[in-house]
Amino acid sequence: MAVEAEMVAIADTKARRRPAGRAGDPAFRALTVLFATLVLLVLSGIIASLVQGGFLAFAQFGLNFLVTSVWNPVTEKFGALAPIYGTLVTSAIAMLVGVPLAFGVALFITELCPKWLKRPLGTMIELLAAIPSIIYGIWGLFILAPFIQSHVEPFLIATLGNVPGIGVLFAGPPLGIGVLTAGFILAVMVLPVIASVMRDVFETVPPMLKESAYGLGATTAEVVWRIVLPFTRVGVVGAILLGLGRALGETMAVTFVIGNSHHVNPSILQPGTTISAALANEFTEAVGDLYQSSLIALGFILFVITFLVLAAAKLMLIRLQKGAGAAA
Amino acid sequence: MQLYVRRRLSNYVVVGLSLAATAFGLLFLVFVLGTLLANGIGALSPTLFTLATPPPGSSGGLINAIYGSLAMTAIATLIGTPTGILAGTFLAEYAHNNRLGDIVRFINDVLLSAPSIIIGLFVYAILVVPMGHFSAWAGSVALAIIMVPVVVRTTEDMLNLVPSALREAAAALGAPKWKIIVTVTYRAAVQGMLTGVLLAVARISGETAPLLFTALNNQFWSTDLDRPMANLPVVIFQFAMSPYADWQRLAWAGALLITAAILVLNIGARLFASWSGLEK
Amino acid sequence: MSVSLASTTPPRSDTPAQPGESATVTPFPVKVQIRNVGFHYGKFEALKSVSLPLHDRRVTAFIGPSGCGKSTLLRILNRIYELYPNQTATGEVLVDGQNILSPGLDLNLVRAKIGMVFQKPTPFPMSIHDNIAFGIRLYERLPKSELDDRIESALRRAALWDEVKGKLRQSGLGLSGGQQQRLCIARAIAVQPEVLLLDEPASALDPISTQRIEELIAELKSDYCIAIVTHNMQQAARSSDYTAFMYLGELIEFDETERIFTHPREKRTEDYITGRFG
Repeated sequence: MAVEAEMVAIADTKARRRPAGRAGDPAFRALTVLFATLVLLVLSGIIASLVQGGFLAFAQFGLNFLVTSVWNPVTEKFGALAPIYGTLVTSAIAMLVGVPLAFGVALFITELCPKWLKRPLGTMIELLAAIPSIIYGIWGLFILAPFIQSHVEPFLIATLGNVPGIGVLFAGPPLGIGVLTAGFILAVMVLPVIASVMRDVFETVPPMLKESAYGLGATTAEVVWRIVLPFTRVGVVGAILLGLGRALGETMAVTFVIGNSHHVNPSILQPGTTISAALANEFTEAVGDLYQSSLIALGFILFVITFLVLAAAKLMLIRLQKGAGAAA
Repeated sequence: MQLYVRRRLSNYVVVGLSLAATAFGLLFLVFVLGTLLANGIGALSPTLFTLATPPPGSSGGLINAIYGSLAMTAIATLIGTPTGILAGTFLAEYAHNNRLGDIVRFINDVLLSAPSIIIGLFVYAILVVPMGHFSAWAGSVALAIIMVPVVVRTTEDMLNLVPSALREAAAALGAPKWKIIVTVTYRAAVQGMLTGVLLAVARISGETAPLLFTALNNQFWSTDLDRPMANLPVVIFQFAMSPYADWQRLAWAGALLITAAILVLNIGARLFASWSGLEK
Repeated sequence: MSVSLASTTPPRSDTPAQPGESATVTPFPVKVQIRNVGFHYGKFEALKSVSLPLHDRRVTAFIGPSGCGKSTLLRILNRIYELYPNQTATGEVLVDGQNILSPGLDLNLVRAKIGMVFQKPTPFPMSIHDNIAFGIRLYERLPKSELDDRIESALRRAALWDEVKGKLRQSGLGLSGGQQQRLCIARAIAVQPEVLLLDEPASALDPISTQRIEELIAELKSDYCIAIVTHNMQQAARSSDYTAFMYLGELIEFDETERIFTHPREKRTEDYITGRFG
């Protein structure tokens, strides 16, 4: 019978059955582990190479490296104060300008804008983030800096420049190129980064929570202030820190407009430098071991600062995620 | 009633400010792209694609830089994609409640936003110094290192979106895990993973800082990966900062080309994702 | 005892039985013996010492309110639970006398012998042809013509051939829900298992598709030992020969389906069947 023949055939094929390549399992797992550890290897490689490269400078100048602002390749005296100061000040300006803007954008996308507009708007913000920093740089150099020089800075000098106490921040001639312009470009660059993370953060608020507040007659502002922000506080801080991490390490846009001057000048209208700008401008032309080592030491400092900021940002965002998971 | 009016008013203020912020953000997108178009289109010419970068004060094109950018981005993608996908596979498929997985995930997210100039320093130390000279290889490796965290992240996210029922069904047939991943899970997630790779390519094709100390630049036509190689971002940087009008025009043209390429990649990746029914 | 799983299978033609006859007598040998099986998700005890037989070429239905452990039990029978950490099974599941829970066994060969179909259709993101070929290729290297024959016969067995024969190269995701589920059944039987586990195979389908699946089960039982989990009591009554009623991780009652639905011995079974709880 045909059925019987088929049964015999089945029994036959079953006898031939072989385990389906189980040996592949540990091998494939090992392969993925290997590449995953590569990520860790890159991190340790970065740290090791920076420490090794910057060792000479740290050995030569010790902790003085951090607090002096002499930067003289001829006499081979180097201090990191000016770039560190510039990095912090430009990032502070970026945060001061960028965070409120980013908050407004995130708020608009999550709470105010009509549904059909959400996606296109989100995409536009993400495109803003996708534009490479060199484009912001060339734009800043040719468009923004002249604008700030002719319109913004004279105004600041005339008004805030005369206020006792903070006047010193706005002293000197309007140059266009300087710390303020750099900070402003950074603000534009971190805006989309912070806004899109904040948007995601706001979206973790359970709709029921918001709806019940709206149901009580609360206004949008009140819902955001009393419900959304308290619920997402950790995540909002995480988003801001993420933006700060970007601002601290941003290179090209700043290099174009900051003027590369190793002086600690209290006025934000004057040229300065940041760690990354100093590296971009000087590294390939740095002659002499100590000069190069000093630049790598700068890189090490930058890496430590950004690593700490970014790690804190990440931890906060993880905490928000876990909290939202527990509430759901 | 007094209170109610005050509440309404403060709400209008908040709504107004939020609207203004959004308008401001969009204005910048338009502003940046607008000036780019205005300055870039005027600088476009066929010779961009036939001549190499000129010496100061004379005219020329960008063909060596375009070639260099394409070549280094391609090599970086070839290195970065498999690396990122395998590492992301570990995170999604093998590393739930796993110490190593948690650490890798965390470090990867930090590297995702780490300053790219630091990557340049790192590759300088491990490749340029031992080899004794700048090279396109070093540039490609630097770009690959920047690309990997992006691919790891999207790969993990996309694999996590694959329903576990699919994995169970394959396992119930007796398929070993590696085979399930390679033939079923990857196939279910392929559109999302591709989108991630496209976004990563977009990201690295505009990177300048990591190339400064690795590929450097080369004024002449060169296809030797063992030599310094011209590339659009670094050429834009040097030419824009120069005092020569011809160079500045080329910088604008290069900026337009690179931005157009990146926007096309970005929008393409998004269209691809929504076309294949992959909405976030 | 280094006897491979495959060779312990008794030749089918030995047992005298007329498939399709009523199940009042049981000339159908026990294919799977479940003995004192318990199960833990972490610390939670999901199953408490369950024992029952599954007969060859009969359909055994598992019913009970959700969370009673019926799906869990099914997931033990081919060790699919092992995909997840912190899940542990105890006791024995003897298939043809061999304990498939013992750690030394080749897990994949166990699963080849015990096919499973899930609640929601799970076509792989590949063509209909490749969906079926996936399982076959795990165990055999066949010439193309032979492979195609196997695919056709699996699709015929699953009553899907006539609907898809012209579009084998199209994606399995393009089929309707009911067709997808039959594709999954075809995929499972293409591997030539001896036991089929069906985990609420029709719960995501419309009534007409459900009916086709039930007809298919009735046909397939002439060749397989089938276990089906269902929350639909009519379905259990219509398509099974034996029924096991489970509640809170325990097996309350196991008997011929007819008896369970007409003269249940346990009060809780009766309450559940008559819709007084659950």
